[in-house]
Amino acid sequence: TAGLNLGLRVLAHLERLETQMSRSCKNLEDPPRETAESDLGTKIHKLRCLRDKLRAEVKQRQARIKASTANAEPDQTLEISEQEAVGGKEENMKAILQAYRFTGLSGKRTSRGVCVCISTAFEGNLLDSYFVDLVIQKPLRIHHHSVPVFIPLEEISAKYLQTNIQHFLFCLCEYLNAYAGRKYQADQLQRDFAAFLAGPLQRNSLCNLLSFTYKVEPQGRSFPFCARLLYKDLTTTLPTDVTITYQGTDASSTSWEEQRASHENLFFTKPLYQVFTSFARNGERLDMSLVS
Amino acid sequence: MDETVAEFIKRTILKIPMTEMMTILKAWDFLPENQLQTVNFRQRKESLVQDLVLLCESKRASLRDAALLDIIYTQFHQHQKVWDVFQMSKEPGEDVDLFDMERFKSSFEKILRRALKNVTVSFRDAEENAVWIRIAWGTQYRKPNQYKPVYVVYYSQTPYAFTSFCHLKSNTPLLSQALTVASNHHKIVKMDLRSRYLDSLKAIVFKQYNQKFETHNSTMPLQETLELDMHMDSRIIHENKIEKERVQRVTQETFGDYPQPRLEFAQYKLETKFRSDFHGGILAERKEPLRCLIKFSSPHLLEALKSLAPAGIADAPLSPLLTCIPNKGMNYFKIRDK
Repeated sequence: TAGLNLGLRVLAHLERLETQMSRSCKNLEDPPRETAESDLGTKIHKLRCLRDKLRAEVKQRQARIKASTANAEPDQTLEISEQEAVGGKEENMKAILQAYRFTGLSGKRTSRGVCVCISTAFEGNLLDSYFVDLVIQKPLRIHHHSVPVFIPLEEISAKYLQTNIQHFLFCLCEYLNAYAGRKYQADQLQRDFAAFLAGPLQRNSLCNLLSFTYKVEPQGRSFPFCARLLYKDLTTTLPTDVTITYQGTDASSTSWEEQRASHENLFFTKPLYQVFTSFARNGERLDMSLVS
Repeated sequence: MDETVAEFIKRTILKIPMTEMMTILKAWDFLPENQLQTVNFRQRKESLVQDLVLLCESKRASLRDAALLDIIYTQFHQHQKVWDVFQMSKEPGEDVDLFDMERFKSSFEKILRRALKNVTVSFRDAEENAVWIRIAWGTQYRKPNQYKPVYVVYYSQTPYAFTSFCHLKSNTPLLSQALTVASNHHKIVKMDLRSRYLDSLKAIVFKQYNQKFETHNSTMPLQETLELDMHMDSRIIHENKIEKERVQRVTQETFGDYPQPRLEFAQYKLETKFRSDFHGGILAERKEPLRCLIKFSSPHLLEALKSLAPAGIADAPLSPLLTCIPNKGMNYFKIRDK
């Protein structure tokens, strides 16, 4: 732009000279001395040439500047994409850290220690998350948490928190995942298989005792079965004790007894929704081949 | 329908505010929808109550039904009662608790009836696997007094039970025993915690009052700087800005960001020697401890305590005797010299 300015100034100067010339031409009556005239003439010619040259140069520069700004854009976009790359990496990191939730156990450093997140799941379904905020001090202590009061957190802490924190977390994960799984099965039974239930589902906070009456076919005229499922092991999602009783008057008949026994086996080995799905699929007669 | 039952139903319905009448009657579910629609709810309350009682009579409402209505009314008006908290414990190494609600109810009632012939026990299942129990006490020769019942709220497989304040202290041991045995516990102890706000008591003992956790999912709120009014005139300067920020920080560390559980008072029974800087005062150098009772009252005690230091009324940090209340689950203290 410096050259441009110079060129413009020269042009302005030239124009001033031209105007002066034309004015002085008007004023002067006598023809100027030939040599002076011819000198001036040459000078004018030279200056005109210079002016044209400068004009051309200005035009060229302008054209170049236009071209270079067009070229500069890819350069600028290169800068932007670098920023984006860094920002993108940060987003990526954040996403990875957030995704650690899916491993079931994740944590975040806090000013006083670490906040551990236990994300429960059952059969591929992501369920509730529970938090334990730990203060890293001697002794290690729990600042606050969202573990339900009926989960034996105090017992587990007393056993493992000070001596083996990994085991503490593992144990707590086991309890919480099992609880979440049992709760999920009970909720699902009430929600999706309500047609099979002949009465309300009785349960408790830990979902480790379920008591209900059910039929194998929703509209069936058959008598219902009574089920009582006990989960004595709080780290499992399948019952440890199953009692099925048949209330019908023909209870002594072998077919009902067979059914009753096979139901018992089903409840022992399959989660609740699978048991009831199999009832739904088979209607009246229970397919023995399902019992694995 | 028994006259006493009719009178009891009448008095219970009379207590219900008109704005809640429909809701509570529907929750009771004793008078069917179509019958309720035949009643004129726009008449004077006394006439409305008479109509409703007549309907109950025609449906032969029993004491059981009336007791259920009383429970529902109390559930809607929990704050009218003062609630105590009992803590139960088991022997170590006990088997897993296979809590059966029906067995709990029958066991609870059986224990009371064995000791007291005249008693009315009613149950209503509640959310979160909890149960509300209503007990009307009688004596060996007198029928239960339906107008002074005790309520117990118990969440299954937890060591805590919430009971409404009972004037008749003599029945408390029996109640405690019934609770303990029916819920598979061994010992029971009354906590030094009392409030009208059942939800707050639950939040305190279940440790649910602080539910803010740092995760990668949430963006941590920027350290809240003093809530200085940014729109204030620039000619106004904040004195002691550094101190104010320190106080804010200490308060935040002690009380957290969450809403405080609601308590109405904290009571400190002091039995300590008087300590004074002035020698030769009347109270100084006494051998016997000074006995006095200090009670802090507030519509919302913990929020009030939280605002003391930022308001400049007290120094920060506050005395741990005040700040330990939710953590220790106590609002009654006895302080003796060590």
